[in-house]
Amino acid sequence: MTFRQFAFNNVLRNKRMYIAYFLSSMFTVMVFFTFAIFAYHPAFSGGEVNDTARFGMGVAGGIIYVFSFFFVLYSMSSFLQSRKKEFGLLMMLGASNKQVRWMVFLENILIGFLATVSGILAGLVFAKAILLIAENVLIISESLYFYFPTMAIIVTFASFMFLFFCISVFVSIILRTNKLVNLIKGDKQSKGEPKASVILSVLAAMLLLVGYGTALYVKGVQVVFALIPVVIVVTLGTYLLFTQLSVYVVRRLKSNKPIFWRKTNMLLFSDLSFRMKDNARTFFMVAIISTVAFSAIGSLYGFQSYLTKGIQEVNPYTFTYSPWGGDSEEVTKKDISDFNAILKEENIDAEMESMELTYFETPEKDRNVMIVRASDYNRFATLIGATELDLKENEAIVVEQSGAILMDGTKASEVLMKSSVLLENGQEIQPSRVIESEVLLEINGYYVVHDQVYDKLGTPVRSEINVAWKAKEGQHDQVLQAGKKLSEQLEYKAFSVDYTLYEINKAYGPILFIGLFIGIVFFVSAGSFLYFRLFTDLEGEKRKFRSIAKIGLTQPELKKVVNRQVAILFFLPIVVALIHGAVALTALSRLFDYNLTVESSIVLGSFAFIQIIYFIVVRFFYVKQVNRSIM
Amino acid sequence: MLKLSKVSKIYEGKVAYRALTDINFEIEKGEFVAIMGPSGSGKTTLLNIISTNDQPTTGEVEIDGNNPHKLNKNALAKFRRNELGFIFQDFNLMHTLTVEENIVLPLTLDGARVKDMKEKAKRLANSLGIESIMKKRIYEISGGQAQRVAIARAMIHEPKLLLADEPTGNLDSKASKDVMGMLVSINEKERTSLLMVTHDPQAASYSDRVVFIRDGKLHSEIHRGESRQAFFQKIIDMLSLMGGDGNDFSSVRI
Repeated sequence: MTFRQFAFNNVLRNKRMYIAYFLSSMFTVMVFFTFAIFAYHPAFSGGEVNDTARFGMGVAGGIIYVFSFFFVLYSMSSFLQSRKKEFGLLMMLGASNKQVRWMVFLENILIGFLATVSGILAGLVFAKAILLIAENVLIISESLYFYFPTMAIIVTFASFMFLFFCISVFVSIILRTNKLVNLIKGDKQSKGEPKASVILSVLAAMLLLVGYGTALYVKGVQVVFALIPVVIVVTLGTYLLFTQLSVYVVRRLKSNKPIFWRKTNMLLFSDLSFRMKDNARTFFMVAIISTVAFSAIGSLYGFQSYLTKGIQEVNPYTFTYSPWGGDSEEVTKKDISDFNAILKEENIDAEMESMELTYFETPEKDRNVMIVRASDYNRFATLIGATELDLKENEAIVVEQSGAILMDGTKASEVLMKSSVLLENGQEIQPSRVIESEVLLEINGYYVVHDQVYDKLGTPVRSEINVAWKAKEGQHDQVLQAGKKLSEQLEYKAFSVDYTLYEINKAYGPILFIGLFIGIVFFVSAGSFLYFRLFTDLEGEKRKFRSIAKIGLTQPELKKVVNRQVAILFFLPIVVALIHGAVALTALSRLFDYNLTVESSIVLGSFAFIQIIYFIVVRFFYVKQVNRSIM
Repeated sequence: MLKLSKVSKIYEGKVAYRALTDINFEIEKGEFVAIMGPSGSGKTTLLNIISTNDQPTTGEVEIDGNNPHKLNKNALAKFRRNELGFIFQDFNLMHTLTVEENIVLPLTLDGARVKDMKEKAKRLANSLGIESIMKKRIYEISGGQAQRVAIARAMIHEPKLLLADEPTGNLDSKASKDVMGMLVSINEKERTSLLMVTHDPQAASYSDRVVFIRDGKLHSEIHRGESRQAFFQKIIDMLSLMGGDGNDFSSVRI
């Protein structure tokens, strides 16, 4: 047996031990490869996707690659951690430092090679699925058919062989093999608790409070300036939270005998403090990575809904037509008949209403205000199924749309309620109430008056025609086609909600997809950090529970300890990340002054839900493993 | 106190293996019994059955009139914790806990009061001579100290029956003597019944009675007379008779 054979057999005959490290490396390769399949798809080499999108994908690929590097490095070092005793044994048998390093290097190269190859194969299997998803999220005219991704394979293979080579060299250099006795005692010796100082613990709480406070206090453009300082302060605060504050809390709990010596608490806390150094590092990393994932996905989703929902809310009609200010009556007439012709061409079943929007001078003579005849209003309201207004004579109602107003300031209704409707005979009618309605779009709000009152208003200062169509449900495709034709023929005079949304989504699709992809990669790897943390210590845990079981530990007691242990590991960092994410998204909503509560709840809620499922699954297997060792 | 009647154990498998055959055996309250026998004779199987870690295939085990094998799993765990004390060859201490915490662990699981636990631990530590290392971690203490900690942990519940599996197996002769001396004094003071499995004739000579088993059957037993030295000699003789390695150094009678 040569030394090389020894190193290779070490891996090949010891599959169970290496499987976790192998799988996580494979997973990383697979993620990168699927992304590469997507990025190198022939459909993108045409003119459909512009250079910006391709540049975006390049950047995203780079991020995934750099992240893979750290992820593999971390998996590697936690894997080596659990093999300390083995290295100790080898060195006791006379292996030199150099030889142990050479062995680690060879093993790594072998695992790296196998992981790269199998990651690419697994990626090929999932390729079709990812392309289908991409096709649905992105709005592209060409379909993302399956192709044989030669380029993606070459790029992935080359970059990951390079990555594993670097990591193998790197790890074998930093591998600490200084004291034989420490290696052999390996898992019995605690790496100790990081030093916990009261000052730093208080500082941790302060930093977090200041960070949160600032993030929640700033508004509008200030958010952009506050972003970087807040991120730095909160990151530092999180680090101290896990390395200082949590150590401090556990210490206090440990020194409090009535709590620490209560039933299974001793088993739980002693373990927590025993692995504090490793735990703190994992907690910090998982919290930060998850925060990045939550905030990235949350902001992308929120931004999209900000763009689309706002438009949808203020445009209840399928199509609207409003002429340029200078258009003559003939042009308008021709436009409208063209409009109807296009709708007919596309077989769209739509109802049409038109009216003159008339503006009058206010009693204060400082500006013009729109006044609408009640019957006109009601015709439009019927079209979109909104409530009709029943006005008494001599009554005026203020109508506004809060959705149409993005910036805050004095609300349109307040101004209008103070003012009044001036009739030609000098009489003034005070508005009676304010209602919210999307029937007509006017940023400054308007009055609706009884038909008889309207007739007494005199001649308007200016007037323009407003035509609206409402198509029946279920004609989405035709409406999109018509929208496209209309925007080509009538340009900005015609407006189709569905087509505008389609255009926005199309431009936004790739960004959303890449963002989602990276976010999910981050979140999944946060999950596997936790998995590593848990299963690196599995052997030790098994031994521990085996020895207590001999003295007598009931099943419920065992379950209780394991449950809490896994729960702390899984939920402490995620809860911190969720809070970070919620604060970040609140700050984002302050930036746009747009309510993101629903969007952030959906994003954060679904991540929390996934984490709970993950927790239940992992706990099931973990308890099973521990139980089996006791039997 | 402890009564085994017609206990047999058969390990199922491709080839069924009979580890114990019709063992009948009794221990009185306050008695100290050692079980000896060559490797593979079924000593550990017997201890596992008595300690309720393993089920007998046929036969009955009675501890203080109860058959623990009829209890369900959780009740059995509680029974082990409250009625039995264990001492292992590899100490079986938890290295995440300090010495003191290891000692009180069985009591904390039962939710005892902190003051009581501290008091009991202190008393035991005093009598076992480990009060100076109470705050240390397990990897910081020696084997002899670790076994004394294990004895303290086994005794904290004041169990009816103390079971020891090769308690001196990992210790040098000096530490072995100390540990055995302590077990004897506990046996005498607390009137705790003691059952010990061992290879070590020196350790066995501290007991009141040695039971020899061979090929899963009771072979013979000898009782201690007045002198421990003579008892030790009788044990050596019996081992050599049984074909153990006891005859390597042929005895010189004093």
